[in-house]
This record gives sequence, structure tokens and C-alpha cells, in this order.
Amino acid sequence: MSRTPAIHATGLRKQFRATDGSEVVAVDDVDLTVQPGEIVAFLGPNGAGKTTTVDMLLGLTTPSGGTVEVYGEAPGRAVATGRVSAVMQTGGLLNDFTVLETVQAIAHLHGRRDRVDDAIERAGLAPIAKRRVQACSGGEQQRLKFALALVPDPDLIILDEPTTGMDVSTRQSFWETMRADAAEGRTIVFATHYLAEADEFAERTILMKSGRIVQDGRTADVRAAFGGRTVSFQPPAEFVHADGIDPDWLARVSAALEPLGISDVEVSSASLEAAFLALTAADTHELEGADR
Amino acid sequence: MSATTSTGTTDTARDRAPRSSRLAAVTGFALLDLRRRLRSRVEMFFIVGLPAFFYLVFGFGDDERVGSGNVAMYVMISMAAYGAVTATTSVAGSAVLERTLGWGRQLALTPMRPLTFVAVKTVIAMAIAAVPIALIFVIGAFTGARGETSDWILAALIVWLGSSLFAIYGLAVILVFRSENAVGIASGLIVIMAFLGNVFTPMSGLILDIGRLTPLYGYAALARYPLTDGWTASGSHDPLWLPLANVAAWAVIFTVLAVWGMRRGQERV
Repeated sequence: MSRTPAIHATGLRKQFRATDGSEVVAVDDVDLTVQPGEIVAFLGPNGAGKTTTVDMLLGLTTPSGGTVEVYGEAPGRAVATGRVSAVMQTGGLLNDFTVLETVQAIAHLHGRRDRVDDAIERAGLAPIAKRRVQACSGGEQQRLKFALALVPDPDLIILDEPTTGMDVSTRQSFWETMRADAAEGRTIVFATHYLAEADEFAERTILMKSGRIVQDGRTADVRAAFGGRTVSFQPPAEFVHADGIDPDWLARVSAALEPLGISDVEVSSASLEAAFLALTAADTHELEGADR
Repeated sequence: MSATTSTGTTDTARDRAPRSSRLAAVTGFALLDLRRRLRSRVEMFFIVGLPAFFYLVFGFGDDERVGSGNVAMYVMISMAAYGAVTATTSVAGSAVLERTLGWGRQLALTPMRPLTFVAVKTVIAMAIAAVPIALIFVIGAFTGARGETSDWILAALIVWLGSSLFAIYGLAVILVFRSENAVGIASGLIVIMAFLGNVFTPMSGLILDIGRLTPLYGYAALARYPLTDGWTASGSHDPLWLPLANVAAWAVIFTVLAVWGMRRGQERV
């Protein structure tokens, strides 16, 4: 049985005219197919084209070229029927609505008032349902946007930097909710610039850079290509002084490593965690070399 | 329009309950939005409280004769007009802000079309404009405003319908200035235009001649026309075409400004 893909895009392209009149290509020739039930991370630095891609998947931006279909329909149509919804980075809320009213307003428009309680519950907003949006923290507002995305009970949910403003524990419970949703068969696509979030949650990671897809595969494979492995070792104590490592010795290390194909030897100051471990364990410094 | 959405043609197992009708959906949304506006105390003070207070100060019980009624009636109509235009300006202006500040993107992920949003906001603006008119007319009726029955009905209708001109004005100011302060600027300018437009205190001479060209003059004069037959407090007379021409001219100017502001905003992408 052939299944309609949740997302099917070919040659997707978007260019803007910048204020100085020059053309900026935000998304460049992106081919993408996401099957129902997949959990996919869009990973990349700011300005990689993630948000523009999301906007095109939601029908909020018209592509300059290429085609995009969501469940075999035009994105705008899939949004209107509630098959796809999203937590947008640029979405906004009205300060003088309460949390509950905000969800009710959107539920009315979807014709799904029956979904209000469920959305509030799943986003963990029940204790603050009566609170004005104005009085909500950034993380709470982010959860409210998440509740709004749950209202139409979508088959595909797109999350653009969904955990912005959330503290660690909220972030964790947010991803637990998403995991439960995925288990029920919801397709989840999220954009993030946290490697850890993609690593922990997505089965598949799409790495974007300058509007292009540079990697697309199992998260573990992408991680290997993206992150590499880091080898670290400790220099002998006599070459370590209070103001750093003896430069002559360091030059000899670089020369010795070169025949092995190792480049970019760099000395990093210890992270706080490493410093803590070092101070509580041994009185030594650390030299790190990364084999990219 | 079809009320339900068919999802049965696809191969996913997730099913959906039928949706409620489109009209019920939009009505439910509009009522929530209306309630949100009505409970804003600051806004309601400027739309209802202040004009009602001005009526009590300037018009209360003043039985001096004006046209087919008295001064209390004259002031009552003016202040109802002032409240109504403050309402339409502020609702229209905030509607633009809501769209640009991201709520519009949230709404874009619902089945509601942009034109429906405009219709909803128009209904809300006219509903809120009716509040000061109703309240000030009722206060007037109990505190000695006098006029022919037709004066009351026509004045209320003209004040109410004419206030829509200032919804266009609100749109224009926000679209041209495009900042969060723009709603405050628009409402502030209303106060100045109300003075120049002969709404607050009766003017005469040169100031009145200049005032005749300002946006609130035509609208307020038209609303008082059934009562005054065009006679001003200073004894001069306006033929009916004058306030009509004023309203028509400003409707064109505000619309052109709004369209220009909208185009400018789109280019900035």
C-alpha cells in the first residue's frame, strides 16, 4: 500500500529582496519527503532557512519555486482542515486574553470546542488557565502556543524552536508529551539549533546550512558527521604554567601529530564542569585536540 | 458554506469529530474578542466614561433652545459622536497591530480567512461604538435633553454609522506609522480634531472656518443636522452639502492613506 507522505517537497526555493535591493536566497532547492509517523529534526544555525521552510510547509509563505504538498494537499488547505498545525517562533498572543480564552478563541475558529480541555491538559496549563497571558512567563506562553497547536488534533505538528524560554524541567516534560504524541502516530517535525534536542528526540535529522540541506539521515549518522569525536589528553605537568601551556612544547605536539592526519589542534580552557572535576580530582591541566 | 470537513478520504487512522458550523465558529470567536475589549477599563474610560462625563459637565440640564431641541441635546449628540469615533479608531487600529504582532500568524493557522477577520473586527468596532451612543443618549433622555423623536433616531443612526469613517482613519494611522504607540497617537489626534471639529466647545470666526475643513466637523455637523438644520452656535449656517462633502472628502483621504500604508508595509518584506 502506498501511503501519502505527510510532507512532500521538491526543488523548494524562496528568495527575498533585501532592503538594499539585492536578492537573498533563504531556501535553495530543498527536496524533502517525510512519512506519516516520523519524528524529524531540522537542525542548523540561525539564518539557515529553517523558519522559511516551516513557513512554506504551513502555506504562510509562497515558494519562489518548486512544489510542496502536505498530505497530498496544498499546505494552506491542510492547515484549514486542521491536518497540520504548528508552534511558530514568530507566533504571537494577545496579552489581555486569559490562557483559557486564548485556547477557546482558536478552538472556536477550528470548530473544535470539544478539544479545549484536552489541549489545556496536555500542555500542562490547567493550573494557570485563568491567568492573563500578560502575566505568563516566556515558557508558559510557549506552552500556550503548544496548546493552540494541539487544538485541531493535527496529524502533523511542526514546531519551530519549541522550547525557547522553557526551563530545564519544563523542557523535559514538553518532550515527554511530544514522545507520547508520536507514539500515538502523530508526525512531528521540529526545527532547533540545539544539537542535544535533535539527538535525544529525533529519529531522523536534517541538517540545514545557508538554505540547503547538507545532511539528511538517521540522527546517529548525522551526529557522527556533524560532531565528530573529540580526543583529549593531559600534558605532562612540567610544561604547564600558571599562564597556560608552554608554546614550544605545543608546537612539538602539533608537529608530532601532523603525520597522523590530525589538524586543528587547539587548547581550550576547561569548562566549568571540567574545572570542577579537575579541582576535585587531580591538580592537572588539560589539552584537547579535535579531529574534525 | 459547508460546515463539516471530510477527512475520510485519507489513509491515516486518526479520526476527527465533526466540526461545528462556520458561522457558529466565527460568532464564538467574535464574542470572546468583544468581551476582551469591553473589559479593558482604560479603553472603556476613554470610549464611554470620558464622553459621558463631558456631557454631564457641558450639557446637563441646559434647556436653552437650539433648533428643534435644546443645548443638552446638542451636547449629547456631540459627545456620543466623540465616544463612538474613539471606539472605532481604537478597535480598527488595534486590529492592525494584532495582525502585525504575531496573533495574525496564529490566526492564519485556522480556517478563518483574512476577509472574515476584517468582518469580525468591523462588527466588533460597530458594537463597541454603540455602547457610548446608547449610554449617553439614555443619560440625556433622563437629564433633560429635548428634541423631536425624529431628531433622536436620526442623530443616533448618523452618529453610529458615521463612526465607521474613523475605523478607516484608525487603519490609516496605524498602517502609516506602524508602531505600538500608533493607537495612542490616533486616539490623541481625535481629541485635537474634536476641538477643531466644533465637537467640544462652540467656535466662531476664523477658527470655525478652518475647523470646517477638519475630519470630525462634517461628521458631527451631520449628526446634529436633524436638530440644528445647519445653524451653528455662532449663528452661521451650513448648507447640507458642506458636511456631506467634508465626510466624503475625508473618507477618500483616509482610504488613500490606508492603502498607501498597506502597500508600503508589504514592500518592506
